[in-house]
Amino acid sequence: MEFAWDQADVAFRRELGDFLDRELAEWDRSETGLGSAVYSEFSRGFVGRLAEKGWLTPHWPREYGGGGQGAWQHFVLGEEMWRRGEPRGPQYMNVNWVGPAIIKYGTEDQRRKLLPPIARGEVFWCQGFSEPEAGTDLAALRTKAVRDGDSYVLNGQKIWTSYANVADYCFLLARTGSAADGRDGISVFLLPLNTPGAQVRRIPGFVGDHSFNELFLTDARIPADCLLGEENKGWEIVRRTLAYERVGAPRYARAALVLDRLAAEVRTSGRLADPGIQEQFGRARAACEAARVLVYRVIDERAKAKEPSPMAYQARAAMVQAERAVGDLALDVLGSEALVEGALGDAQFRNSLGAGIAAGSYEVQLNLISRLILELPKD
Amino acid sequence: MDFEPTQTQRAVLDALGALLARYAGPERSRALAARGEYDWNLEEALRRDGFLDLFAAEDAGPLDATLAVEAIAAEIGAVSAVPHLLVLPALGLDRPAGPVVLAAGDPGPVRYGGEATRMLVADGDRCFAADLDSVAAERVPSAYGYPFARVVIAGRAELAPGSAAAMVNWWRVGVSAEAVGMMRRAADIAVAYAKDRKVFRRSLGSFQALQHRLAEVNVLVEGARWLVYEAAFAGAPAEAAAVAATHTMSALGRVTRETHQIMGAIGLTAEHDLHLWTLRLQALRAELGSWRTPSRAAAEARWATA
Repeated sequence: MEFAWDQADVAFRRELGDFLDRELAEWDRSETGLGSAVYSEFSRGFVGRLAEKGWLTPHWPREYGGGGQGAWQHFVLGEEMWRRGEPRGPQYMNVNWVGPAIIKYGTEDQRRKLLPPIARGEVFWCQGFSEPEAGTDLAALRTKAVRDGDSYVLNGQKIWTSYANVADYCFLLARTGSAADGRDGISVFLLPLNTPGAQVRRIPGFVGDHSFNELFLTDARIPADCLLGEENKGWEIVRRTLAYERVGAPRYARAALVLDRLAAEVRTSGRLADPGIQEQFGRARAACEAARVLVYRVIDERAKAKEPSPMAYQARAAMVQAERAVGDLALDVLGSEALVEGALGDAQFRNSLGAGIAAGSYEVQLNLISRLILELPKD
Repeated sequence: MDFEPTQTQRAVLDALGALLARYAGPERSRALAARGEYDWNLEEALRRDGFLDLFAAEDAGPLDATLAVEAIAAEIGAVSAVPHLLVLPALGLDRPAGPVVLAAGDPGPVRYGGEATRMLVADGDRCFAADLDSVAAERVPSAYGYPFARVVIAGRAELAPGSAAAMVNWWRVGVSAEAVGMMRRAADIAVAYAKDRKVFRRSLGSFQALQHRLAEVNVLVEGARWLVYEAAFAGAPAEAAAVAATHTMSALGRVTRETHQIMGAIGLTAEHDLHLWTLRLQALRAELGSWRTPSRAAAEARWATA
C-alpha cells in the first residue's frame, strides 16, 4: 500500500490548478446547475480551451484525440474540476464514459466520426436510459428499435434525461428483441438529437435546471450504423458503462468544497467556535474523506487495468452518504439564510436530494453490495 | 497510489497471524479476561519476533505497524498494542515490559490500568510520561472485555514539545485500527449468521431490510479502514488522524447495533463470541471520546476553529 501521489500527478495537478485559476477567475461559481443555460454556454467555450491543452480527454488513446494518460491523471482532472464546481458542465459524461464506450465497442467509422468532436469539446451527449416505467429496473425498458433496410426506426419515450435540453447526441437504449428477452433484447444507439421524430421536452424540477427532460421518439429513422456493438447485446455495454459512471464524477470533491465554504460562512457569524457545530462539520468532513478514499481504491483498480469490481458500489454509496451529510449540515447550520435562492446551502441541499437517485439508486448499490460482496442469499 | 499490500505487508501479516493463532483468539481471550490479566506472553512473543519494531524498521514502517495493531485487535490479543507498536515508537521512547496506558487529561478507568506501571498523558499542548503505582491502582469491575482500573500516579516527567500532538494523533490512528479490526470481525459474524439462519422458511440474510443494513455497515467499515491506513501511511497528520477516528467511531455505534440486532438473543449470550468484539469496541469508543472528540479535532485541524 502506498497512498502518496506520483511526482508526475502532483506536477500535473499544480499545472492544471494554475490554468484553472486563471481561466475561471471571472466565472460565477454560485451558478451550480450543471446543465443550465449559463453553465452550458460557459462550458462550451471553456472545454475548447481545455481541449487545446490536451486536458479534456487525457486518458483516451492518442489516435482518438486523447493524451494516452492513465486513470489517475484522469481522476486528478475530475477532482480539480469538481472541487471548482465542475466548469465542464455536462461534458464530463462524454469524457468519462460515452467516449470510452465508443472506443471500446464502436466500429472504426463510428470512432472516426464521433470521437474527435468530443475530444475537441464541441458536442454534448446525454444518456437515454430511463423510461416512465423503467428506471431503476432498467431491463423493463420498452422503447423499440425496428430494423428497416439500412435504418432503424425508433418509437418510445425516455425520461429524466439530464442535459437532453442542450445535447447534440443521445446514448440511447432501445429494445430490438421482444420484451420477454429482458436484458438480452436491448441495444445501444448513438442517436443524433436533430433526427426528425426526436423531440425533447423540459420537465421543471427543483434540483438544477438541467436535470429533467423527456425525449419522445416517433418514427425516428436513423441509419443502421448508429447501432453501437451488436444488436441485442447492449446490456453488457450498459453494465460496463454504469460501472464507470458510478465512480466517474468525484462528487465528494464538490461536497468537500461546499463544506469548506460553509465553514467560512459559519466562521463569519462566529459560530464555528460552537463545539456542537464543530462536531457536525468534522463528521461531514469524515464522510467526504471516506468517499474519497473508497473512490481512490476503485481508481487504483482501473489504473491496474483490472475488471471493474463491486468495490465501485461501496464507493458510490459512500459518495451519496457524503453529499447527504453536507446537504443536511448546510440547512442545519445556516438557518433560513440557507433557503435563499442561490445560497450555498440551498444548492447543496437540493442537489443532495438527487444524490441517491441518479446513476443507479442508492438502494441498488446496497443490493449489489449484499449480493456480490457480502454474498447474502437471494431466496 | 497503490491499494495492494506490499510483499512486506503480506509477510508481516502472515507471520503475525501464525503468532496470534498461538497467543490470541476467543478462547485465550476469554481465559485471560476471566482472570483480569494482561497477556505478558503475547507481548513477549511480539517483542521477540520484532513486531514492536515495525514502526521504525527499514523495510517496514508506521502503516505496517498499524496493520499489525488491527490484526492483534481482530484476534483480541490482550496486550496494549497501540502504545507499544505506534505511540511509543512515534515519540522515540522505549517500550517497557507490560501494559502502557494512554490518557488525555484526568482519565477515568483505563484498560490494563491495574498492571500498568507507565502512562502517557496528553494535557492540552503538554505531554507527560507518568509512573504508576500499580499496587495502589483501583480495579473496577466491567463487562467490557478489558481489565479496567483507576490508576494512581507516582510521579511524572514532561516530554519534549510536540509530543502531545504526536501522541494524540497516533493514539487516534491506533485505536481506530483496533476498532476496524474488531468491527470487521463482528460484521463477518453477523453476515455469516444471516446466511445460515432460516426464518419464515427463508435465509435471514435474504430479507432486503436486513441486507441494506449489512451493506451500509460494510460501506462504513471499509471507509474507516482505508482512512486509517491512509492516515498511518502519511504519518498521522492531525487532520487525517482525527478524520479517521471520527469516521471509525461513527461506524462503531452502527456496527454494534446492527450486528447485535441481526444475531438476536443468541448474540447477547456469554456463550456466543460476538460480544468479545462488540463490548470491547465500546471501550475503544470511550477511550477516544466517541466520534465527538475527534470530530471537533478534525474541524479544528481543517478550519482552525479556535
